[in-house]
Amino acid sequence: MCCSARRCNQEMNWEQFDLNPKVVAALKKADIKSIKEILNLSGADLQRLMKLSSADIQCLLKTVSHALRRNSMLTALQLYQDHLTSQHQKLSLGCSVLDNLLKGGIPLEGITELAGESSAGKTQISLQLCLCVQYPYKYGGLESGAVYICTEDIFPSKRLQQLIEQQRKMRTDVPAEIIQKIKFGNSIFVEHAADLDTFHNCITKRISLLLTRGMVRLVIIDSLAALFRCEFGASDSVTKARYLQTFGAQLHSLSTRFRTPILCINQVTDAVSELEAAQGSCSVADNKAYPALGITWANQLLMRLMVSRVPQPERSPGAASHHSGSVRTLRVVFAPHLPPSFRYYTVKLEGVKGIK
Amino acid sequence: MQRDVGSLPLAPALRARLIAAGFQTAQELLETGPCGLSKEIGISKEEALEALQVVRQECHGGAAGTAGGSGATRKCTALELLEEEQAQGFIITFCSALDNILGGGVQLTKITEICGAPGVGKTQLCMQLAVDVQIPECFGGVAGEAVFIDTEGSFMVERVADIAAACVQHCQLIAEAHQEEDHLKALEMFSLESILSHIYYFRCRDYIELLAQVYLLPDFLSEHSKVRLVVVDGIAFPFRHDFEDLSLRTRLLNGLAQQLIIIANDHKSAVVLTNQMTTRIGQSQSTLVPALGESWGHAATVRLIFHWDNSQRAGLWRMILEAQKNEDNPSRNSWQRYTNHRVRRSQPYHITLHLMASEMCSLQLSLRM
Repeated sequence: MCCSARRCNQEMNWEQFDLNPKVVAALKKADIKSIKEILNLSGADLQRLMKLSSADIQCLLKTVSHALRRNSMLTALQLYQDHLTSQHQKLSLGCSVLDNLLKGGIPLEGITELAGESSAGKTQISLQLCLCVQYPYKYGGLESGAVYICTEDIFPSKRLQQLIEQQRKMRTDVPAEIIQKIKFGNSIFVEHAADLDTFHNCITKRISLLLTRGMVRLVIIDSLAALFRCEFGASDSVTKARYLQTFGAQLHSLSTRFRTPILCINQVTDAVSELEAAQGSCSVADNKAYPALGITWANQLLMRLMVSRVPQPERSPGAASHHSGSVRTLRVVFAPHLPPSFRYYTVKLEGVKGIK
Repeated sequence: MQRDVGSLPLAPALRARLIAAGFQTAQELLETGPCGLSKEIGISKEEALEALQVVRQECHGGAAGTAGGSGATRKCTALELLEEEQAQGFIITFCSALDNILGGGVQLTKITEICGAPGVGKTQLCMQLAVDVQIPECFGGVAGEAVFIDTEGSFMVERVADIAAACVQHCQLIAEAHQEEDHLKALEMFSLESILSHIYYFRCRDYIELLAQVYLLPDFLSEHSKVRLVVVDGIAFPFRHDFEDLSLRTRLLNGLAQQLIIIANDHKSAVVLTNQMTTRIGQSQSTLVPALGESWGHAATVRLIFHWDNSQRAGLWRMILEAQKNEDNPSRNSWQRYTNHRVRRSQPYHITLHLMASEMCSLQLSLRM
């Protein structure tokens, strides 16, 4: 199904379609080469260009549409029961409490956003995902590597090393021999992109190469907002929106073609206006932090998660005191398959762990 | 389809050749296709195509309501149209507030557009409608099937399964309360598997695929005549990027709207579209408006705009969640109970709608008839 994108753009040999020869001749005479050109034109335009009757044109439209969309129907029952390529498969976070919040983990198709104030734990969670993706399918991974795109800070390689060393302690559900066999460092690719053009280049060339070769099945972008901070003033909102939509569409298309989750890290800003407050679905929490980049970006997302540092609530004396280090919250803001709920977690030496 | 080849209105020489080649029924001819036919009989491809067109017309000649502008225009009085419209079914949502505002539910033969900010519940409502359209007639439903065209990849089947299970449960409760035979009989056919098997899912990755799918819809709906709902979730997403030529976009959207209106009418189906919101920068302030421009605004008969109601603060939301938690089974996740009953009017706290997203939001309706 992923090759149909190419099919609608490529030059077609009209003879191989079930078309009346006079229609084929008219197509050639009108110099129409691809299915995309046909569908971009209205019925009336096609009649004029090709000098054919409306019945012939209807037949042409149906034939090319059929060629593009053959066998594209599934019933919801088939989706539900098919466990191999289905939506049941998710990328685990490596912690059963957090996986439980997300009903399995990060969905494989679509852009997931992880927003939050600084040092709330976004980088920690993304590093953890870079390791989780390398585990076998049986343990919630995708048996492949990850690519991490940094747009402002340098990549935290020291912390990554720490996490790699502590994997055996973190993933007690996985047998030690399996953990030992995985060469975690080798499959994490770090890219730097400090401006929009480099970023665009990165997505369209380098990332799709890695994805085509099957070397990665997780893309992390840290963070998109940084690219827009310096270059755009208040009056450039239209250009900014266009960039966001283009990037969003490209990422979306990569994600669907390769069944690869894309995690975008986002910063938060304070709501500046009524309008921003109206856009946000984050009014539930007491803090008024809203993810950056506005509604244009939010429209591209499948799922939005927020992390925050929680002021320590009043706990009864019997509560575990080893959680007195900062407790953080991971919250689902919106997702098509999840209710808005949250879990507490802490960041330990071996990684991010949810609190039951 | 089982018509004998000898009875078809083809040229006698052609008929003789077909019979000599072993073709007996019209069905066989259609299945062979023009290329195969021209090879088997030794006629040109053009002749084979024309012959097949004749066969098709003969076989489908009796079928009513074919779309595509073939011939006869219908004459009727306004009273007849009014009666017809009042007799149309509605797809109920089981939320009385929403159903009341819509005048009974989502109306068949009309296009309903659902707009709202991300996360407000547009996809949830579509998924619910895809289940509710299947409710048997004895429970007040239209006993139809659903087509779901997904352009964003947000159709999560596990959520649909939850909604379907809750709907079956709800109908079972009604049946238990009333103890009528036709209720129980209808319930035999109304199960999670049957609901899921009657949602026909199409994934379109760009606007070309969407256009192609809509061209193929009339034939699909003729073959699946029980479909009463076509959902396109969302209509904006494929059209909002990579379109330097905005006039092309407007033209394509208008064409799409026209085709969908014809489909809604010819196949007595409700068409439901979801749209995004965008910022319109005014002179003194900015507002959120539905995307795709002014001319698109005329495409839908009914347009629903969902807003976040920020006067309802966190406290109220938590209070409601708490109350439901204490009600019966405390170990059950209150969210489960809440959303398993899908869109519910929340009593006694507030008249505003609780959608599955469970945030407070208010409903603003702009009717364009």
